[in-house]
Amino acid sequence: MKSVALKILGALVVLWAAATFTFFVQAALPGDRATLLLNQDSGQIKKRTAAELAPINEEFGFDKPLVQQYADYLGGLATGDLGISYQKKAPVTEIIGEQILPTVWLTLAALVAAWVIALLLTLFTTRRSRVVKTLGSGFETLSAALPHYWLGVILLVVFAIQLSIFPVEGGTSLYGLILPALTLAIPLAGFLGQVTRDEFENVLDEPFITSARARGMGDFEVRWRHALRHAVLPAITLSGWALGALFSGAVIAEIVFARQGIGQILVTAANARDVPVVAGIVMVVAFVYVIANLLVDLAYRIVDPRIQT
Amino acid sequence: MRTPKTLLPLALLAAGLTLAACGGNDSASGGDPGAAFAGATPVKGGTISYGHEQEPPCLIGGWVQQAYIERQFADSLVSQVKEGEIVPWLATKWKVSDDQKTWTFTLKPGVKFTDGTPLNAAAVKTNFETWLNPKSLNPTVDAYIGEYYKSSKALNDTTFELTLTKPYAPLLSALSQGYFGILSPKQLAKGPQVNCEQPVGSGPFIVKKWNRGKNIEFVKNPNYNSAPANAKHQGPAYVDGITWKFLGDQTVRYGSLTSGESNVIYNVPTVNWKDAKQKFEVQQYITPGRPVTFSLNTVKGPFTDKLVRQAFGYAADRKAAVESAFNDVIPYNGNGALSQSTPDYDKGLADAYPYDPEKAAQLLDQAGWKENGDGVREKDGKKLTVNLVYPAGAVFSAEGATALQNIQEQLKQVGFDAKLTAATQSEVFSGKYSTPDSYDAITWYWTSPTAGVLYIVWRQNLKDRPNGNNSSFYNNPTLENTIEKANSTLDPAEQKALYAKAQKIIVDEAAAIGLYTQTTSLASEPKLRDVWIENSQGEPVFHDAFFAKEGGDS
Repeated sequence: MKSVALKILGALVVLWAAATFTFFVQAALPGDRATLLLNQDSGQIKKRTAAELAPINEEFGFDKPLVQQYADYLGGLATGDLGISYQKKAPVTEIIGEQILPTVWLTLAALVAAWVIALLLTLFTTRRSRVVKTLGSGFETLSAALPHYWLGVILLVVFAIQLSIFPVEGGTSLYGLILPALTLAIPLAGFLGQVTRDEFENVLDEPFITSARARGMGDFEVRWRHALRHAVLPAITLSGWALGALFSGAVIAEIVFARQGIGQILVTAANARDVPVVAGIVMVVAFVYVIANLLVDLAYRIVDPRIQT
Repeated sequence: MRTPKTLLPLALLAAGLTLAACGGNDSASGGDPGAAFAGATPVKGGTISYGHEQEPPCLIGGWVQQAYIERQFADSLVSQVKEGEIVPWLATKWKVSDDQKTWTFTLKPGVKFTDGTPLNAAAVKTNFETWLNPKSLNPTVDAYIGEYYKSSKALNDTTFELTLTKPYAPLLSALSQGYFGILSPKQLAKGPQVNCEQPVGSGPFIVKKWNRGKNIEFVKNPNYNSAPANAKHQGPAYVDGITWKFLGDQTVRYGSLTSGESNVIYNVPTVNWKDAKQKFEVQQYITPGRPVTFSLNTVKGPFTDKLVRQAFGYAADRKAAVESAFNDVIPYNGNGALSQSTPDYDKGLADAYPYDPEKAAQLLDQAGWKENGDGVREKDGKKLTVNLVYPAGAVFSAEGATALQNIQEQLKQVGFDAKLTAATQSEVFSGKYSTPDSYDAITWYWTSPTAGVLYIVWRQNLKDRPNGNNSSFYNNPTLENTIEKANSTLDPAEQKALYAKAQKIIVDEAAAIGLYTQTTSLASEPKLRDVWIENSQGEPVFHDAFFAKEGGDS
């Protein structure tokens, strides 16, 4: 019980810190927020007069002391109110609610795809002939280093535009999800694969593997049923981090494949310094990290029942 | 099991890359891709899938992205055709009083907004009052008419009277822009959030649903009866609707056209321009108004000296830099005051400040900036360092940045220590670069259907009457008077002469140095006929568009 309460408290602290940090960074950047809103709405870059700025400052409360703006903001958060977007005029909860599902699907699809690729690589290329081994670990090293934007554009140009296997616009269909998910999954798979491979090699030298083989168990079964179970633990730990990273990194795949999602909203909001939207999305991302880490704890216990709390 | 299946994608990827590498060489077919459909009779039905670029935060407002969208669901009082000619739209006729302060518009009778409320003089009055109300200000409307607007009145159902504080000849041009689309007062009364997402006009299409980050679904207005005089037909649109998609990445946008996912797209990437001309119907709109220019800071730093400003103009081959960076698709605009497509543009200034490094060097010598050992000129112990600020990102494309880098290299050769500062979107809009101590030169532009924009940009920046758009901080009473006179004369010849004089002052004084014109383009598949670009802001018009039937075989 105590540990659950501690975890929840820890999560709340993380969320509060994320909200506070975002609020002050956005509010403290050079330049004036009311000027930004007026100029952006007319494509101008000019200095605005006090008379022009007054109604905007009043509407959004920019004329109040920063501490009070912060207090109002935290007060809203406590009651589940993320505020109203300066630019889009709509409640932030509504904007995020509209956009979050496509991002969640993309993130989960990418995570699953990354795991499938990483596991196949580990199972079939570790401790094999030199050529296979080198190809497997070479692919991991290479793909882990691929930048998302570059990979996304290559996948788009090759498989959607040139070969016409996939739609150019990702859209919301399952089929349209494949390329964006691979864009995020391939580098992550390389990373997870590298971590798993090391562990997998160590495990294959363990005595219990030798005894399993001695009992006449086939090579694939040894790998699949015994070795893998031990080898995936570090990668599971990383998945908690990866889920959050995928979620916040989804923006690149969303832009390249013209998908709906919170990533695109975050970019435009950050450009406009639309504090309520940016802070709202940061909170959601922080929340995803918290949940993902709780899930990792759980997964650990399932994979390795020896772990108790 | 020995053959790892996971390597297959890698092999495919490699094969695909090879394919992509030779994919660029499509055989040139030449000819007019739309020839097979020329003269086709309009067919009803179908939904146009349109791949647009940027998505605005709201569907109405003062940004050109909003003008594009407003054109689809709202009508304006008048429309502008080439050479600045004005034709009727919601207003069938108009007259102006002798003192040019009272404009009377006669409205088309029987027009209704798509929520059923009548579009009458009272509705027009509500629109003017909403645009200029500080609480719901449209900053672009304000920039055009804020200083001139006095009051508006509904004389009767179809007669609207606009009273100005002083004569304003470009009024009708200003009103022709999408920002001035007339909206339903009933809907306006519901407040900003509703009108941000669900604005209601009397236009050929109705906003059905806006899926943020994805598209706007428009359906046709079945009762449309208020097309402008320059439309190709009156009555409802031929197509059932438009899916207005936001495809920010240019590779995706062009790919969605070639793969048939879009029927028409906005802004063809310059690298695909030649290919698009062979396969699609391509139209290019050269934006009138203020071109993309360097505004030189005339009150602080080296550019306070006119000779240095002129030397800056001669120092670099701006024409070659623009043409190579934009793959010869976007035209160079040497006239720093007005774009070549603006009515009353002065052609005589097209070649202002041609590339002449010797002249640049001579002007700098004359101004007292002397060569020293390290290639950077000096005067009184100060180096000739200039900070050129440009907005990075969507406003100023990667091609624009390339042009600037070429120019920067050439500036160095005559002894300028030119620094390029890429400003983020939020920095430029938040006013970080709006004061004399924040830059030596800045690039910006202003799309406008009238030379009257000169008043917005070049009116003096005075303490009691600040003008933040004067980004050269150039105060010249003669210039302001000249523009003001031009803005208040209705005689076309006199007006043209006055605007020409104003352009000459700006160019001779080198207060702004021309670079290129903003352009927009549309590429549509050949069977989609009669999409056109209107003339005030380059708004795409789909009211006349239709899908022609293939020549008998399908």
